[in-house]
Amino acid sequence: MTDARLRPHPLGDSAVTIAFGVERTSELLGLIHSAARSLEAANIPHVQDIVPAYLALTVFYDSLHASYEEMAATLLDACEHRARAIAHVALPSEHRIPVTYDGADLEWVCSSTGLSVEEVIARHTARSYTVDLLGFVPGFAYLSELDSLLQLPRRAQPRPRVAAGSVAIAAAQTAVYPLDTPGGWHIIGRTDIAMFDPARDPPALLYPGDRVLFERVE
Amino acid sequence: MDLFALEAANAMVGNRVDAAAFEWALGGGTVRFERDCVFAIGGATARATLSGRVVAPCTTTYARAGDELSIDQIITGRFLYLACHGGVDVPLLLGSRSTYLPGRFGGYQGRSVKSGDTVPLGEPKAEPPAEGFHCAADLMPRYDTGIVHATRGTQEDLFDEAAWLTLSESEYRVSAASDRTGYKLEGPPLSNRSGTLPSEAGCPGAIQVTGEGLPIALMADAPTVGGYPKIAVVSEADLPILAQRRPGETVRFVLIPIEQSQRALKRRASDLDAIRLLATRSASG
Repeated sequence: MTDARLRPHPLGDSAVTIAFGVERTSELLGLIHSAARSLEAANIPHVQDIVPAYLALTVFYDSLHASYEEMAATLLDACEHRARAIAHVALPSEHRIPVTYDGADLEWVCSSTGLSVEEVIARHTARSYTVDLLGFVPGFAYLSELDSLLQLPRRAQPRPRVAAGSVAIAAAQTAVYPLDTPGGWHIIGRTDIAMFDPARDPPALLYPGDRVLFERVE
Repeated sequence: MDLFALEAANAMVGNRVDAAAFEWALGGGTVRFERDCVFAIGGATARATLSGRVVAPCTTTYARAGDELSIDQIITGRFLYLACHGGVDVPLLLGSRSTYLPGRFGGYQGRSVKSGDTVPLGEPKAEPPAEGFHCAADLMPRYDTGIVHATRGTQEDLFDEAAWLTLSESEYRVSAASDRTGYKLEGPPLSNRSGTLPSEAGCPGAIQVTGEGLPIALMADAPTVGGYPKIAVVSEADLPILAQRRPGETVRFVLIPIEQSQRALKRRASDLDAIRLLATRSASG
């Protein structure tokens, strides 16, 4: 579809960023997610990691054994022929995440949106979300798209520490904090599910393109 | 932070280059060896003594059980590496023995080593290099110059020629607000056409530019994605030079093509092979 417009660029000595487009749309994101999955399945020599994002995907590689020119050409070729490999590609998974809705910002979210606690919970659990990308810290998945009535700007002052397992919302996205980290999103609940476990394979629970449904528990 | 110094210290004591070693930042301290041990220190320079005798940097040194290695305050650089023959015995996690402090996993119990800890060393698999094996300075990065090569970043079309000229003709000072995640750089602002972009992958060495035009070089614990445009990426061969600059010290960036940057990285890898080979020969000879 947009293959002719794929633009590779070096990201330092050991990575190639391939731009797929310039405008952020769910179609483009879906295209990048499927390209990432087929590149994973293709097991290209010297490839070490694949990081899909909104407009581009980045491939990290062993640059002692492959030059930028070689790697960029191989990856463009693989992206253009990905339809052939698609049969062997892992399908996106669906995850159900149990949430206790008692977050520190729940009341503030209610007063800012004019919704009751019950309405906020009902709207947060009503739809399934797509994993847009992983980033920030290990296992942090940006999920969209949040109900338009729940969309609020980030906190003016980020908290120095948000507990692992906190379920939060900001702008058009929702997420679960995988580790204790600073954070500027509004905390509405918590889950016991481990979003990141370094002893697990793969360590991150979610992968870009996966679907997530939140379920209310008391 | 300084991957080359870590790998070189490992090579000097006959370890695999990816063996675990101690990274030592800024302050001093003392280590007591519970058993005979062959070690080397590298990276930042410091006054170091082993039970009163001066320890030369980048030199294979033999310690006896009970010997105490004292590192006084670091003199130049920021991160010192102590590699012991056999490596530090910590589990392999996600393909690494390193410590990720924000996630509290990896390395030694997922945290910094503190006073009173007893840290296990691995069983050496080969003979150690001879005592006094010294790594020649010409096999090391030129830390003293502060000259750091870099390639153009993934948002090169968001910066105009004035920004490129500013980056390559100015001195940038490492800010006090710099840590394992990133080094803020103080100097002339770099104008760009867009404050933030939809997030995409970054990497250690990427120089991202904030809305005010301030450059931040991402370092070892950088986030995997970010939304600031990247004007340049520090060559991996020179990232140790930036890592070892202290707050207040300056760097100058020199832009080079990707082919040249990758060649420099290969040269660094062959320098490391040379150190390992020379150290191994010293063991058998």
